[in-house]
Amino acid sequence: MSSLPSLSFGQVPPITMEEFTQDAKSQLSAKHFKKLEPVDIYKATDSEGKVGLKSISVMLNEMQNDISEIRAAKTQKRTPGLQRLPQAIINANPLEREKLIMRWQWEELDTILAGEMFTLTDVMVYKLRLQILNRLNSFDKEQGKQVLASVVNPPKKEEV
Amino acid sequence: MAGQKIKYTKTERARQKKILKVSLRMLPLFEAMEKSLMSTINTIAERIEEIRQEIDKNNKAAEPWVAVMSDSHVDIKSFISVNKVITKHIDVAGVRVDQYEGVDFNVKPIEDDTPLWVDDAIELMQVQLQLMAEIECLEEQIRLLEEELLDVRARIKLFENRRIPNAKTAIRKIGQKLQDDERLTIATAKVVKTSQKEGVMV
Repeated sequence: MSSLPSLSFGQVPPITMEEFTQDAKSQLSAKHFKKLEPVDIYKATDSEGKVGLKSISVMLNEMQNDISEIRAAKTQKRTPGLQRLPQAIINANPLEREKLIMRWQWEELDTILAGEMFTLTDVMVYKLRLQILNRLNSFDKEQGKQVLASVVNPPKKEEV
Repeated sequence: MAGQKIKYTKTERARQKKILKVSLRMLPLFEAMEKSLMSTINTIAERIEEIRQEIDKNNKAAEPWVAVMSDSHVDIKSFISVNKVITKHIDVAGVRVDQYEGVDFNVKPIEDDTPLWVDDAIELMQVQLQLMAEIECLEEQIRLLEEELLDVRARIKLFENRRIPNAKTAIRKIGQKLQDDERLTIATAKVVKTSQKEGVMV
């Protein structure tokens, strides 16, 4: 873990996910690496229903509950009652909302990490943070505009 | 009229008069049709401009958050596509065109773990795709109306430059020829009568 560059929210990822995975594979035991693999910031469990780390799974489930509540409240035209996510996300625009959610995840990972220095949890959290940074770094105005245009106004197929 | 042989008969003169009468009656109708088509095309073009402004307005409103659409975690393109543009046939200025009614979308169901921004993006894309589909329908309407306009203008030109002047010329020429023939007949009759009188006297 000490060989990995430190991470801070909002920075450009200092290493790629592939580099991290390779590094983890060479540094961790096969048993620990197997435990690291299902850890994913986007999924509470992997395709086989395995939980990487219970505290992470709990955090993701709570987040999904709040997201479901936001969706339900929108359909029912009422104010959502959030349990875990910050209230600020209710009125934020979609980009700011995702950033606030990721910031919340980052801070939750701090709590999970407390007292877990130089353990496998530390590596798991590092992987999750790297995922957060990668996603955060993929947000780009010009590319976003291109994606929107490709759906709304796709180039016309030339008739033969 | 050039190269066309005129029959110098009363029947032909009557036929040409009929052509002239019909042409003079039809010309204002085609002119009115031309005006109506032009006005309809302008109205549709204005509507297209309004829709384009609406699209721009929506794009501007989405600009502060459009960056999220390049999210590496989500392929938004897989969430929405147009299944079918629904239209109905209507007559506009006498031309049968398709009027925009709506769009039938294929929308992938949103899972619990789908990021929230996807909902907003789908909403925006639906609105923009509907507006784009309406523009396409209107542009097709303009294309058909312009085709009709060209046809109507060709008819006006035909009446103004050929049918009416040709009929007028034919009527005039036939009239002159018939008058000449009449005079000739009268003169010949007089000569014959005079010769007959002189013959009797000798």
